Amino acid sequence: MELIPPAILYILVDFSTYLIVTLSLNLEVGYAGLPQFGRVLAVLTGALVAGAIPGRVLALMYGLPYGSEYAFYEYNYKVVDTLNTILEKNPLLAITIFISTLILAMVLGAVIGYLTSKPAIRLREAYLGITLLAMGDVLMLVMYYYTPIIGGTTGVSVVDPFRWTGGARFYVATFTLLGIALLVFLLIERLTKSPYGRVLRAMRDSELAITVYGRDIVKLRTYTLMVGAAIASLGGALYTFYTGSCIASTYTRVTWTFWPWAFMMLGGTGNNLGVMFGVLLFVIVKTLIVMYRGLLAPYIPFDPVWLEYTFVGMAIVLIAIFRPQGLIPEKPIFTIPRKRIEELIKGLESRIS
Amino acid sequence: MIPPIAVAKAIAYADSLALMAAGITLIYMCTKTFNFAHASFVTWGFYIAFTLTSLYGGSPYYYLPIAFFFVGLLGVVVYVLVIGPLMRRGASPITLMMSTLGVDLILLSFIQMFADYLTRVFKLYARKIVLEVYDFDVFGLPGITIVSLVVVVLLISALHIFLVKTKFGTAMRATIENPSLASVLGINPNVVYLASWFLGGGLAGLAGAIASLAITGDPTVGSRIVVSMFASSIVGGLYSIYGSVLGGLLIGLTEYLGIMVLALQVGGWIAVYRPVIPLIALATTLLVYPKGLGGINWSRITTRFKSLVGGS
Repeated sequence: MELIPPAILYILVDFSTYLIVTLSLNLEVGYAGLPQFGRVLAVLTGALVAGAIPGRVLALMYGLPYGSEYAFYEYNYKVVDTLNTILEKNPLLAITIFISTLILAMVLGAVIGYLTSKPAIRLREAYLGITLLAMGDVLMLVMYYYTPIIGGTTGVSVVDPFRWTGGARFYVATFTLLGIALLVFLLIERLTKSPYGRVLRAMRDSELAITVYGRDIVKLRTYTLMVGAAIASLGGALYTFYTGSCIASTYTRVTWTFWPWAFMMLGGTGNNLGVMFGVLLFVIVKTLIVMYRGLLAPYIPFDPVWLEYTFVGMAIVLIAIFRPQGLIPEKPIFTIPRKRIEELIKGLESRIS
Repeated sequence: MIPPIAVAKAIAYADSLALMAAGITLIYMCTKTFNFAHASFVTWGFYIAFTLTSLYGGSPYYYLPIAFFFVGLLGVVVYVLVIGPLMRRGASPITLMMSTLGVDLILLSFIQMFADYLTRVFKLYARKIVLEVYDFDVFGLPGITIVSLVVVVLLISALHIFLVKTKFGTAMRATIENPSLASVLGINPNVVYLASWFLGGGLAGLAGAIASLAITGDPTVGSRIVVSMFASSIVGGLYSIYGSVLGGLLIGLTEYLGIMVLALQVGGWIAVYRPVIPLIALATTLLVYPKGLGGINWSRITTRFKSLVGGS
């Protein structure tokens, strides 16, 4: 039975994952003005948590190998298979594992964010961008060749917390992902309209002015990098749970740093709604390329998959030159004027008395 | 101990890294752009050497100048279409860097398409390239070691003479110092910027072609070593071409040989941490001495050293 065509599910999954990651990027780039060229670092952290930890915890609980041999490909799929049959019969355990892994991913993401904030306090602009980019690349390369955690070049299977829903697995997983993504959207929208979000924009526009008003720039930057990394890490963990496997080579700087940048630039840097729109537009075009590349293949002497890269690269360059503000430009945030607040309070007081 | 062939390979790799870093530095000095498309520039140099050697035979050395000119022209195209318009609009360094990342994606996709094309039309396997078999031997060591060293020395001397002795070189230095003052004196900064992208791109293409004789390649070869390139250029100080060459040699040798020495000392498990070396070099330089090797006042150090030696 097919309730929803697979293409729509594919779009929804990509949309949700990239929405989470791109919103976190927008918080750091669009609001705080930090050149976050190493988004993949935090996303990979989340993927590592989901790939390495829940399976090991369960293996420990049920007396299966949980050390570095857990990640060895000859054991890994057997262990994960056994664990999945256990999870299938035990929905409560599955949900507990799922939620606690997500929380752990966010905590470790925040830790990574804190670590990257150390150079971020002293470095400026492009120098910081290069350093962050290098950090993301290095973690990916090390994890790709280091076998004990997520199996290196062979990768690992990931326990499936949605197995108990049986045939509806992909629907449940997709809509959980979408639900969490929309929740993150509301949270970030709220966060960026709060005094904290407005201070971030002020810091982006003039660090000097914000210092004069007594704000601590170091604290603001550290905090933003931690929040952004925690959210990106959540995205990585969710994606890993959805796909059911984890290999470091999935997390390249192209797919998890440049693509989110392109989505953000297209939608409108510094505008959450614009970012959502940008992600949706890109994901639909990407899916169309994937769907119709079979039609194109006989006419061109190469694999049409590369057109996706050309397309994203072109988008970045063209937006930077012709429409730097994106499709939906950033708008000022209007707060209630003080007079109106006082009137409201007076109204409330008169009603009480 | 480390076999001599590994040392020879390390030197060739370090030489190509030095040329890449020199290109990045030249472009940064002139146009204030961190050129991430350097990754694809290098890969294009690599593929030009590979394609021409496979299709027309002969030694890959014949094709070094072609790699230089072709990728140099690629640099000119990138400047004219992307960087120039952005600079005239007064784009921020972050926007400039981001746009080169976009250019890198486009060029990368073209290389991937080109590799597919080579496979389908010419039946060449273009996803794991080893050109070392075409190299000649010098006393049992690969010729690329000697050739790359000679190329680095010659090119850097030529660049020095060009910048110091020629009129255009002087104009270039003037523009780097102060673009508006230089334009008052009748120098067209656009021509200088264009030249820097041609030379920078050319150096990247040449470095890629040299690297094709030292390392194994695939369409992501440049993108895999781009962190090392930037580390070299930053260790060199980003404001001195000679510094960046030193930085490239330093990073290349430490990366290639340092990890071998460490693996012999503490065990093979450490080899996976090879990419950490350029990261540490990069971060340490930026945090401790951002002026880098190019910023060190060598003459002061030598006089101090002389006085120390003389005094004792």
